[in-house]
Amino acid sequence: MNDNVAIKVERVFKTFNLKRPDGLIGSIKKIESPFTNSKIIALNNVTFDVYQGETFGIIGLNGSGKTTLLRMIAGIYVPDSGIIKINGKLAPLLQIGSGFHPELTGPENIIISGMLMGFSKSDIENKVEKIIQFAELEDYTNMKLKHYSSGMIARLAFSIGIQVDPDILLVDEVLAVGDISFREKSYKEFLKFKDKKKTIVYTTHILTDLHEVCDRVMLLDKGVIKEIGNPLDVIKVYREMISKNK
Amino acid sequence: MIPLIQLRGMQNQIIHFAWKNIKIRYRGTNLGLVWMAFEPLLFWVFLYLVFTSINIGAREDFGIYLITGLVIYHNFVRGSQGGLMSLRENFGILSSMNVKREFFPVVATTTSSIVLMVELVVFFGIMGIFQFVPAWTIILLPIVLILLQILILGISYLLSITYAYFRDIQPLWGIFVTALMFVTPIFWYLEDAGGFALEIQKINPLGQLIELTHQIVFGNVPSIQEWLYPSAMIFGILFAAFVIFKKFERHVVEKI
Repeated sequence: MNDNVAIKVERVFKTFNLKRPDGLIGSIKKIESPFTNSKIIALNNVTFDVYQGETFGIIGLNGSGKTTLLRMIAGIYVPDSGIIKINGKLAPLLQIGSGFHPELTGPENIIISGMLMGFSKSDIENKVEKIIQFAELEDYTNMKLKHYSSGMIARLAFSIGIQVDPDILLVDEVLAVGDISFREKSYKEFLKFKDKKKTIVYTTHILTDLHEVCDRVMLLDKGVIKEIGNPLDVIKVYREMISKNK
Repeated sequence: MIPLIQLRGMQNQIIHFAWKNIKIRYRGTNLGLVWMAFEPLLFWVFLYLVFTSINIGAREDFGIYLITGLVIYHNFVRGSQGGLMSLRENFGILSSMNVKREFFPVVATTTSSIVLMVELVVFFGIMGIFQFVPAWTIILLPIVLILLQILILGISYLLSITYAYFRDIQPLWGIFVTALMFVTPIFWYLEDAGGFALEIQKINPLGQLIELTHQIVFGNVPSIQEWLYPSAMIFGILFAAFVIFKKFERHVVEKI
């Protein structure tokens, strides 16, 4: 892989089995109709490169394959065929807060998440106060996570995620978390990553500022790359696509 | 393809997660972590009262015989059930981070090893109450306990990955371990058994481990064959389960 390429995605296919009806009766019904198409194509022959230091946006309607693609880049899903190569330390900010345990407090969840991200226990313990402060949760440190609001959970998860110093950051819609002041704060942190010339792959539905943040944007439609290139051009195609769908 | 190799350097995470499992399990209860000891103790008290009131428990040192089998059985059941749930319980983590799948059944086994340490306090405590002094052969006990944890690890690999693809395994395993209690020499003696019970014992690694422990506690030195046979079975289960786990782990997040 070329040194200036951070992520290489080559001829990637991904299908998912449609959910089988539950239970024995559902299974019998399925046997009765063996010709029903039971697979959905999530990504269809997707090929692109993301360059070192580039901020690469991915846009598309719901179900277009954005999250599946990020999960495959993160190594959570494996492609049915094709190759994904990563050049550098990668940190995913995906499905934010889903790894937390509701019975544990904020600081306990910070330590668990941090250790899974590769921090030593003492390193992450030293960062707990800073993370809590950034998430503006100083008054809730003894509260179990199940009593947090969804905004508080998202703030906590984002604050943990940005502690990692990766070469490549995968961001899935998470800049829209919390209230307006927290969003602005998150956005500033995001820009700091960009200033440090980190590679960022970023999916969003919010088109405002996308052309200012991203060097290139890719439009996915039903698992196929519809357009890739200059942000303004791609956003224009996307807007046209949305208006056609209306 | 060797179990645990890929988790080198993750010892701290494994131990931290195992403690977290224990804390979560008993958090909010009045007795807290004391339940780790109370669970097998109450189980033993109940069975002891029942079996000593009928002929089965009439033998000398039946209380010691019973707690020996019960501690091993109880730890196996708790450990295997934790292993079964280990991937599914951590779906949130698996779907948002690239964590090695093997981490979770290993954490479940580590949890079971920590619980075993507490259960051993109950084990030796009951010996104290009965003023029973175990023979020198008790020094062999750690070998049996290590084999037990290897067996739990193998079963955890197998059950966790099976549960991701086939949810019916959960109620099936519940029935299986209940049946296992009756076909394993916990409250009955091997020399009294015959037929079906003996045939099952030959292929029951848990039963073999319990029988080894009985011998050790009551001062007999098990023969080489008595060590090798269950060891071969347990390592066979571990490697077969690990191969199956590695074969199916790639798509586990999608399947769950």
